Amino acid sequence: MSDPDAFAALGTIHDAPGGPEAAVTGPGRTLAGDAWETLRSSWVFWGSLVLIAFFVVMAAFPGLFTHVDPASCQAARARVEPSSSAWFGYDVQGCDVYARTIYGARASIVVGTIATLTAMTLGSTVGIYAGFFGGLVDSLLSRLTDIFFAIPLLLGSIIILTSIPTPTGSAFFSILKVSLALAALGWTSTARVARSSVIQVKQADFVSASRALGASRTWMIRKHIVPNAIAPVIVITTISLGSFIGAEATLSYLGIGLQPPVISWGIAINDAAPYVRSTPHMLFFPALFLSLTVLAFISLGDVVREALDPKAM
Amino acid sequence: MVSAELTSKPTNQEAVLRVRGLVKHFPLRRGILIKRQVGAVQAVDGVDLDVYPGETLGVVGESGCGKSTLARLLVGLEVPTAGAVTVLGRDLIGARGAGLKAFRREVQMIFQDPYTSLNPRMTVGDIISEPFEIHPGVVPKDKRSARVRELMALVGLSPEHVDRYPHQFSGGQRQRIGIARGLALNPKLLICDEPVSALDVSVQAQVINLLQDLQKQLGISLIFIAHDLSVVRHIADRVAVMYLGRVVEIGEQEMVYSNPQHPYTRALLSAVPVPDPKLRGMLGQIVLEGDPPSPADPPSGCRFRTRCWKAQDVCAEIDPQLRDLEGVKAACHFPGA
Amino acid sequence: MTEIDQTAPLLQVRNLNVLFRTRDGVAHAVNGVDLDLAAGQTLAVLGESGSGKSVTAQAIMGILDMPPAEITSGTVKFRGQDLLAMPEKVRRTYRAQKISMIFQDALSALNPVYTVGFQIGELFTVHRGMSRKDAKKKSIELMERVRIPGAASRVNDYPHQFSGGMRQRIMIAMAIALEPDIIIADEPTTALDVTVQAQIMELLAEMRRETGSGLILITHDLGVVAEVADRISVMYAGRVVEHGTAEEVFATPAHPYTRGLLDSMPKLIGEDSRLYAIPGLPPSLTNVPPGCPFSPRCPRAEDICRHDPPPPEIELWSQRTSACHFAEEVVAHGVR
Repeated sequence: MSDPDAFAALGTIHDAPGGPEAAVTGPGRTLAGDAWETLRSSWVFWGSLVLIAFFVVMAAFPGLFTHVDPASCQAARARVEPSSSAWFGYDVQGCDVYARTIYGARASIVVGTIATLTAMTLGSTVGIYAGFFGGLVDSLLSRLTDIFFAIPLLLGSIIILTSIPTPTGSAFFSILKVSLALAALGWTSTARVARSSVIQVKQADFVSASRALGASRTWMIRKHIVPNAIAPVIVITTISLGSFIGAEATLSYLGIGLQPPVISWGIAINDAAPYVRSTPHMLFFPALFLSLTVLAFISLGDVVREALDPKAM
Repeated sequence: MVSAELTSKPTNQEAVLRVRGLVKHFPLRRGILIKRQVGAVQAVDGVDLDVYPGETLGVVGESGCGKSTLARLLVGLEVPTAGAVTVLGRDLIGARGAGLKAFRREVQMIFQDPYTSLNPRMTVGDIISEPFEIHPGVVPKDKRSARVRELMALVGLSPEHVDRYPHQFSGGQRQRIGIARGLALNPKLLICDEPVSALDVSVQAQVINLLQDLQKQLGISLIFIAHDLSVVRHIADRVAVMYLGRVVEIGEQEMVYSNPQHPYTRALLSAVPVPDPKLRGMLGQIVLEGDPPSPADPPSGCRFRTRCWKAQDVCAEIDPQLRDLEGVKAACHFPGA
Repeated sequence: MTEIDQTAPLLQVRNLNVLFRTRDGVAHAVNGVDLDLAAGQTLAVLGESGSGKSVTAQAIMGILDMPPAEITSGTVKFRGQDLLAMPEKVRRTYRAQKISMIFQDALSALNPVYTVGFQIGELFTVHRGMSRKDAKKKSIELMERVRIPGAASRVNDYPHQFSGGMRQRIMIAMAIALEPDIIIADEPTTALDVTVQAQIMELLAEMRRETGSGLILITHDLGVVAEVADRISVMYAGRVVEHGTAEEVFATPAHPYTRGLLDSMPKLIGEDSRLYAIPGLPPSLTNVPPGCPFSPRCPRAEDICRHDPPPPEIELWSQRTSACHFAEEVVAHGVR
């Protein structure tokens, strides 16, 4: 017969510190909760979040920031310096630089977002399958990843973007084309990170325990592998959002990215570049906004990575 | 071939677990594109075991002896290279689908490391109820929450903590959570792979007592794997000693500990430090020379002969089999003192 | 450098206090610890995880990360010289030469990208100004001394090419290389198999006898302590709860915690039935209970134990102390 006193003895040491309760600290605190505690007190976190929010609002509601129509351009005002009536001056076609910069946020951020989400989905799926199944599946998927990795971003984008014709005047199609082209070339780093993260998690005892219970592979991936492997993927996603925005600007600068009538920072920089010596204001302001956005996303990714790092817990 | 009865205990009970000729070789492959097999790590090389209802079989051995591989084989995490495993009369090898799932309900495992055996992103409640979600027929959905709390209380945890996360518990408490998870499906056999090795001495005693109490209360059988001979002594009814993938001695715990027949068992027992300063230097301690041989390249004949002080020519030529000796079974040409 | 006083005790730690600033609060890892070590003696610091024994050892060696650690008070006197008061430059000369350390996990303590010969030799090239060639000869010598077979060829091998026991021998070789006065061994055999453990403990005892150094053995393994220790200091929740000779502490423990520890230890000889288990868990170091830290789990505890001030160190007889209000009773009659 069992000894009830053994259990009772364990139960009576309740409230005194030093009892078994003492080791169980506070209400349920997830690892995400712990990360949140770190982030809450980080000024880098709040700073980059505020900046990102600022630009997202700008992209969604440009009318809040300016009443000027970015498309109303007057050749007579071309390349006029900033003044009190036009804070950022006028660009090469006489359009208000401030208005174009504000309106340009939308295209840049939308491209960045679509590209990132597509790359993350595609990359994670490839990485998770490669990492979890191993063997032949892993070999094939990894070689595929390597091939895409080897394609230089600019060369690949040029080929993709020039070979797919864009119906002129369609802003939506232009944005979609550029986003998907960037995603098609940029998913590989997410795949690699996801794969190595999954391989690491796969070896943990709790995965074996689940298998010993008779769990199916789908169950194990969903309940055990993905929640534990996702942290590095989140980090690289946040960082790559910034680089996708920058890549779009590069492509637009080269003239193969977004096309008019789409307004984006890259296009603005492209137009302003030949005049950088004489009238730098046309280039300076879009470039500044671009840099700040990229910086905000990369800083956020960096600080989230630090917070999710289990060693710091 | 070894006889089917591996214990001197008279029994008319059906064995819960019957293992015959269990072999697991991990192939060593070499090659760039196409890998050829150049050898194998003979992790488990011919093990026979029986486990009866309500008893604890201790399995002791040092690192590389194959006891962890044995544990994984018995719980279905590894596929054997050869051999037969029957649980309650049903064959494990070749079981698929529903048959394999049924087997899982009868044999469960507790893992060594309390820090990696629980999913850090799941609450304790979710961890313990996972078995019910994978085997929906065992406990109806509306009764699961109550059953989880019951299990927590059974292993000495406060049921109020059902929504906490593993990192909020100590090592010993995490092991209890692992035990609760292992018991959820009411298995007949629980395989404990070094369950207390990672715990402090005072906590070890708590968990060992808990396992003993649960066994008496629930009538389950335990296979308790450890490298610490003192711990095994307190919990095991019978003990098997493993060396380099084989069982070299097996028998009733008192017999093996008081009158070991195999030289390796003698060396193991004498190596355990005696916690009494007055006896220092008085008990002749056998100190084995050198390192254990690699399981990929075991010695011919008796595998222990390279470190054995009694080794003769016959030991290199003929591989000794387990035979009855003074109340235990041991595989040695020159057994005894 | 100031003259070392050869007559002063080898090591004398007084009132050492170390705390850690963590996100969950301040963890008092070491609280008012006193230790004594005489030349040629083996002192075992016995405790479980969270007792503060490793932090104490690291504070003596001077290898604590500060922050987050902070030594708030105390002296660590090596032959009369307070190591904590020394400038880091001087302190560094003591490490490896006067006080050396053996770590628990040799695999992570050794640098995987250098050969073992290089790592042992480094001690000589850095501290004794030897040439690489001479240092290598010394390395082979030391490897032979700790009985690594084939030392002359293995000196060029990398740490991962050795087994766990062999790596521990290399750590011992590095620890005795410069013939220090004190060797601190932090759980040197915990990660090893029991047969290898026996080999290593025997080697350690022999090396200590040869060099005449003092040995501080940090461990939770009562068996190992019984085999080699001359004196024992038992630690719990950052405090030393008992000092005494090995025989005294094992035969007649003076503190309920030590008593509980001895009772809960599985043994090869004696009763093989149910083990005594100390109920409950050690306290979290950020939330140590008032009074005696062991009181929530102590079968002997009374009201006085649960309130501040914590029990003082009661001297039972020469060099035998216990931090328990009822020390005399515990020594004489046991706890239950």
